[in-house]
Amino acid sequence: MKLKENYENTKWRRFVRFVNGGEMSEDRFRLTGSQMDAGKPQAAKVHDAQPVDLYHLKRDRNRSDYSRMMEQYENWSKTRGLKIFGSLYRIISLCICLLIIFVLLLTVANMPAFGSADTPANSNEVAQRYIEKGQEETGAVNIVTGMILDYRAFDTLGESHVLFIAACTVLILLRIDHRKDGSLVHEELAADENDRRLEPKNDKILQKAAFFLVPVIILFGIYVILNGHISPGGGFSGGAVIGAGLILYLTAFGFQKAERFFTYKTFSVVSLASLLFYSGAKCYSFFCGANHMESGIPLGNAGDIMSSGLILPLNICVGCVVACTMYSFYAIFRKGGI
Amino acid sequence: MMEWIRFAVGALFILVGLLVSCVAVAGTYKFKFVLNRMHAAAMNDTLAILFVILGLIILNGFNFTSLKLFVIICFFWMASPVCSHLLARLEVSTDEEQVKKECGGDDDAGL
Repeated sequence: MKLKENYENTKWRRFVRFVNGGEMSEDRFRLTGSQMDAGKPQAAKVHDAQPVDLYHLKRDRNRSDYSRMMEQYENWSKTRGLKIFGSLYRIISLCICLLIIFVLLLTVANMPAFGSADTPANSNEVAQRYIEKGQEETGAVNIVTGMILDYRAFDTLGESHVLFIAACTVLILLRIDHRKDGSLVHEELAADENDRRLEPKNDKILQKAAFFLVPVIILFGIYVILNGHISPGGGFSGGAVIGAGLILYLTAFGFQKAERFFTYKTFSVVSLASLLFYSGAKCYSFFCGANHMESGIPLGNAGDIMSSGLILPLNICVGCVVACTMYSFYAIFRKGGI
Repeated sequence: MMEWIRFAVGALFILVGLLVSCVAVAGTYKFKFVLNRMHAAAMNDTLAILFVILGLIILNGFNFTSLKLFVIICFFWMASPVCSHLLARLEVSTDEEQVKKECGGDDDAGL
């Protein structure tokens, strides 16, 4: 007995127990050993009541053993496994975090001092040229707009296309189809009902507020777009403002009224027209190189609305794409169609 | 002298706005029910912003920039209460049990 307990507590035995899944192996050891009463597992009580039938006894014992093992196996992940996983997870995440901190600090330590003359931003002649000659060459007072819509117009074209493609993808994924006879599909009816239950429609307060706010918001968006080359702002921010105004109108007055001026057709026509105009207006520099061919449009007086050549129409195009994309995102997520 | 008075008044307005904001944040975390917390949070968007921007207007003097700031006040005072109203209405229409608990034993209280 004593020997056995000693044996139970040895490291090797503990390891075996751990490998076999904890207490289970101990129980089995006791059961198969000479004293049945020592361990007092639940199965032993059942055996006591039964008449001595060695075959059945053995079979039951085996079965209870097996079921207990399975139980342990199933619960392993909830108790011990989870603990081990949790501690491992913490250690590994800590290591990764420390590693990232170390790498980032190393990078910071190797950077040039703040404001020194040889930083890439200061020594790069491209940035210097943007600052010194930007207004003269593009005609835009706002250097940022001059940069993204003239020097780097190709980049902005890609961004507009990304927005358009994102809207198309969401439309492909989330669109709810209509039947051929025009009646709504079951899903959409359910969604509509759900929508009506959860969101207050025809809310008088919201409608009154939207009645005053929507025109102001959209006007402000138009102002931001049209002044993109003079003051901070531009197509992206102005388009976002207009899109927000449209969304407010939609939430206040519902789809029926919004569809009077914005349908799927509007979305496709406006987006495609804007992107096509952008590509067409800028293709000469995409193909010929920006510096060697003039667009022929006079740059005008820097600071005027009608100045800086193609930047203003391009801003309008970008604004249209952004506004359409925002509105269509909201409409698609809300009802599964524009 | 005039400058100093203007500075003092403007700073006072901004401090009052910050105080209101602090009280609103404390209330947002202290209250238990959604509607109470929303009331506290809405104070932040209206009263605190009103005081802070009024202080900024006084500090800035009356010119085009302060007109823009005034427009911001108008926008917030129109938009934020409507927002709170919509949120409250959503809460009332989705979580009726909770609202009944909040508003006492009456069946139709607040609905």
